[in-house]
Amino acid sequence: MAHDNPYLPLPATIKKITIENEARDLKTFDLVFDNDSQRFRYTCGQFAMISVLGAGEAPIGIASSPMNDGFIQFTVKKYKTGIVTTALHNLYEGDKIGIRGPYGNGFPMKDFEGKNLVIIGGGFALTTLRSLTKYILHENNRSRYGNLTVLVAARNPGEMLYKYDLEEWLKRKDLKLIQTIDQDVKGWTGKVGLAPSVLKEISPSPENAYAIVCGPTIMIKFCIFVLLELGFPTKRIISSLEMRMKCGIGKCGRCNIGPKYVCKDGPVFSHEQLQGLPDEY
Amino acid sequence: MEVERQIRETVKKLFDESKIDVFIGYSEGTLPLKSTTCFITESANIEKLVWNSYCLNNLAVYLPRFFVYDPRKKDATLPRVGIVAKGCDGRSLVGLIKEHQIPRENLYIIGISCDGMLDVTKIKNAGIEIIESKEKQDKIIVIDENRKAMQFEKKDLLADVCLSCQYSTPTVYDTLIGEETQNTKHKIQNIPVAEFEKKSVQERWEYFKEQISKCIRCYACRQACPNCYCKVCFAEQTKPRWIGITNNISDLMFYQIGRVFHQAGRCIDCGACVRACPMNIDLRIFTSKTVKDIKEFFEYEAGVSLEEAPPLAIFKQEDPEEFITEP
Amino acid sequence: MEELVIRKVKIPDLIQELIKTYKVFLPTKTNGDYFHFNELQTVNEELLSFWDYRNTKISPKEIFFPQTEILFSFAEKMESLGSNRQLLTIILGIRPCDARAISFLDKVFAEPLRNGEPQTPSYIDPYYLERRQKSTIVSLACSNPQITCFCTSLNGKPDGEEGSDIILYDLGEEFLVKVISKTGEKLIDSFAKWFKKATKSHIAKKNKFIDFSLKRIHSTIDCHNIKEKLDESFNATFWGKIHLKCLGCGICTYLCPTCYCFDITDEVRNKQGKRMRCWDSCMFSLFTLHASGHNPRLTYKERMRQRIMHKFNYCPVNFNGIFCVGCGRCIRNCPVNLDLREIIKDIR
Repeated sequence: MAHDNPYLPLPATIKKITIENEARDLKTFDLVFDNDSQRFRYTCGQFAMISVLGAGEAPIGIASSPMNDGFIQFTVKKYKTGIVTTALHNLYEGDKIGIRGPYGNGFPMKDFEGKNLVIIGGGFALTTLRSLTKYILHENNRSRYGNLTVLVAARNPGEMLYKYDLEEWLKRKDLKLIQTIDQDVKGWTGKVGLAPSVLKEISPSPENAYAIVCGPTIMIKFCIFVLLELGFPTKRIISSLEMRMKCGIGKCGRCNIGPKYVCKDGPVFSHEQLQGLPDEY
Repeated sequence: MEVERQIRETVKKLFDESKIDVFIGYSEGTLPLKSTTCFITESANIEKLVWNSYCLNNLAVYLPRFFVYDPRKKDATLPRVGIVAKGCDGRSLVGLIKEHQIPRENLYIIGISCDGMLDVTKIKNAGIEIIESKEKQDKIIVIDENRKAMQFEKKDLLADVCLSCQYSTPTVYDTLIGEETQNTKHKIQNIPVAEFEKKSVQERWEYFKEQISKCIRCYACRQACPNCYCKVCFAEQTKPRWIGITNNISDLMFYQIGRVFHQAGRCIDCGACVRACPMNIDLRIFTSKTVKDIKEFFEYEAGVSLEEAPPLAIFKQEDPEEFITEP
Repeated sequence: MEELVIRKVKIPDLIQELIKTYKVFLPTKTNGDYFHFNELQTVNEELLSFWDYRNTKISPKEIFFPQTEILFSFAEKMESLGSNRQLLTIILGIRPCDARAISFLDKVFAEPLRNGEPQTPSYIDPYYLERRQKSTIVSLACSNPQITCFCTSLNGKPDGEEGSDIILYDLGEEFLVKVISKTGEKLIDSFAKWFKKATKSHIAKKNKFIDFSLKRIHSTIDCHNIKEKLDESFNATFWGKIHLKCLGCGICTYLCPTCYCFDITDEVRNKQGKRMRCWDSCMFSLFTLHASGHNPRLTYKERMRQRIMHKFNYCPVNFNGIFCVGCGRCIRNCPVNLDLREIIKDIR
C-alpha cells in the first residue's frame, strides 16, 4: 500500500510482568517489539494503543523513559468492566500483543529545558510522570533541567507504584522526592495527607518553574487551585487527560473536548489551554 | 379543534394550580402531515399544544428519563409530569407503571378517546412532495409541490395499528376528553399477521431475513419504544458480548429477535418502532405476531390492567409447567 | 474542457460499455420503497433511468466509508486485508450536496493537510484513500430540490461542483456533460465518441435549468457567523431545551453524508479473528462511556450539544468548513421531527 496503515498494530512480546500493588490490579508489562523497533520513537507523555487481538485496544500511557533501549513499559490497571484490560491481565510472559503508536503530543520537553520542574502524581496516573522523571534523571539529560521536585501520592503504602524506582530516587541528591499517603499507617516514614494539602505544605516556588499534575480528576482540580495560589501562571501548569479512545488518530470522533482531540492534540494540555476549551470532561 | 381547546384549558389549569412541573404534548410539526413533541413548562406556552390527525407518536417513551434514579440527587423530589394519552399511549403508561419505571402519583394523564391517526406514507405520490395539508372534518386535502390539490378520506389513510385498535380510550387517566369508547368502529383482524401465519416456517424465516437485511442498526426501533428503557441494551453489552456491533446479517437478526422477544407480553402494538424505522422494515409483523400469540396462549393483553401481572414475569401454582424454566 | 451532450437513449449502451472496465454504482429503488446506491450487477433497462429520483435514503458515503470495514484479520499472525483489490469505480447520479460531503470526508480521512498546513504525523486512512483514488464521481445536478433541501444556505448549489469529477444536467432528452476534474476528463476522453459538443441552445437550456432549480429552494437557515455565535454558547441555556424531543437513536448520524464517527471492534470465531471498523454515533449513550463508569456526555443534552457544536463549530475550526451540506435527510427521517433548521433558529 502506498501509505502506512495507521490501524495496523506492531507485534510485540511480553518479556516481563511486574505486579505493582497489593490489590494486584496494576501490572507493569515490559514489551519487546518482534520486528523493527526503530519505527517506535516516542517522547515522555505519549501513549500507545495496546491491542489484545480478539479483545480490542486500549490507550495506555508509556511508562518507560525514551532513553530506554530494547524494551518499553506500560502500567495497566484492570477494570472490571474493561475487556481489554482484563484480557491483558490474563496474559503471561511470552504472550503476544500489538502496539499502535506512539500517539499524543507528549510533554513539552523543549519548554521544560532550563526550568525547575514540580511533578505531582496521584494514584496510577504516575505512569507517564515516571517516564518523564526517569528521562530527566538520565545522565545525558539532567544538566539541561533545573531543580526537580516530585510529589507522589497514593491511598496507602500498598498502592504505591514503582516502589523500586522510588527507593532509588530517595537516595539521589539531584531531586527532592516526597511521598504521601491518605491516612497514617504504622511504619510509614513519608508524609501523610492528600496531595493538595501536602503540595501546599511543600510550597514549591513558581519562579522559573513548570508544574506537571496527573491523577484523578478531583486531585488535579484541587492541586491546580493550590498551584494558582502559589503563583504558578496557567500556561506553566501542565496536565494529562484521559478519554475513551478508539482510533487514537483523531478520526473516530470520540475523545474530543471542543475542537481538540485528546488523542491527537493532547493528552497533554496546559491549564491555559484547558480554560479555552469547553468544560466537558 | 374542540379537543385541542380542552387540552389547552386543562393544561393551563394544571399550571395555574401548580399541579405539574412539565407537560408533554403534541405540537405542530415542521413538515406537512407531521406533528412533533413539545415540553411545556409554563402556562404562557400552551398555545403550542395541538391536537390533530397526525398525533401518531407514542409520547410515553419520554417518561422514564424524568424518573431515572440519580444517586447524586438522592433527596431531590421527582418531577410531576403531565401527558396527553391516546388509547395506545395509555396502555404504554400502564406497562411502565407496572414495571416501576414511572410513579403513578407523579403523573397527570389527560386521556383522549382517539378515532385513529393517519399514516402519511399511505399517500403514495411517487416521489412528489407534499407542501401543505388541511384537515376538513373527515377529509384531508393536500397540496403538492406542483400546486396540485388532492383529497383523501381520512378512513383510507388510517394507520395500520389504528385499524386493528381495540382500546381507543386509555385504560388509566386523570381527566378524559371525549367519551369512553371501546373502538369497535374499525375492528379489523390483523390481516398481515393472518397472511404471515399461512406461510411455512422456511418462508417466514426468508421473509424475516429479507426484511432485516435492510437494517442499519440505528436503534431507532429500540429508542422509540417506550418499553425499551434498559440502561445498557443487550445488543451493546460488552460483558458478555452477546452480539457484535457491526451490520453483519446474523447480528442484525439476533438483535431483532432479541428485541421482539423482550417485548413479548409487554408490547402493545403502538407501531412506534415501525414508524421510526428509516428503512421501512416490516417490524410490525413480528411484534404484532407476539401480541397475538400472548393473547392466545395466556389470554393476556398488555397495558390494560394495572393489577394483572404480565404472564412471562410470574409463575403460579396452577401453571402446567413444573418449574419456571421448563419449556 | 468544453461542455458536451449525450442523448439519454444512448445511456443504457454507454453503461453497458462502462461495466466492462468499471464497477458502476447507481441509485436504484429497493424493496423498502426508497432509493439506494447499489452496484449495477446486470444491465437492466429499468435500472438505467438513474436520473429519475430525488435522493437516496442513506447517503453514498457508504461507498467510500462502508458501515462495516474489515481492517485486518488475524490468526497466529496478523494479515492485513489488502485493499489493493479495489476496482475502478464510477459513482453515477450522485447529488451535488452528497458529492460535496465526500470532499469534506476527504479532509478527514485522506488529506494530510489541515487548514493548509501539513499535519505531523499525517494519518491517512488507506482503505478510504484506495477507494477514493480509484473512483470517478459523476454527479447529477438537481432539477427538483425537495422541501427539506437547504444547500444554498451552506455555500452549496443545486449544480455545485465541489467533490464531483463530472456533472450532468438533465435537459429532457439529453444530458449536458460538464467535466470538472482531471479524473473526469480522463473518463470522458476514453469514451469521447459517445459525446457531441454542446451547442449554444444547450447551454441556454442549462442556464434556465439552474435558475429554475435555485428558485425552488425555499428552505433556508442563517449560518452567518454561526461558528462565532457557538464559540461563546457552550454553556448557554438553550441546549437544555433543544434536546428534549430527541430519542437518542442514530438515524440522523447514520443517514448524514458528513457524519463519520466510528467504532473499532474485534470479532473472533474459533481461532480466526477480524478487527473491524463500523459506524457509531455520538448520539448513543454509550459512545463516550469510560471503563471507570464516568461518562462526560451523560445526558441527551450533552450529546445534542456535541453534535451541533461538532458540525457548526469544531469542524469549521479543524477543517475550515461547516460539516453540513443541507441535504435534509436528518429532517425527513427523524421519528420525532427534530428539525435542524429549528435548532439553528433557536441558537440565533
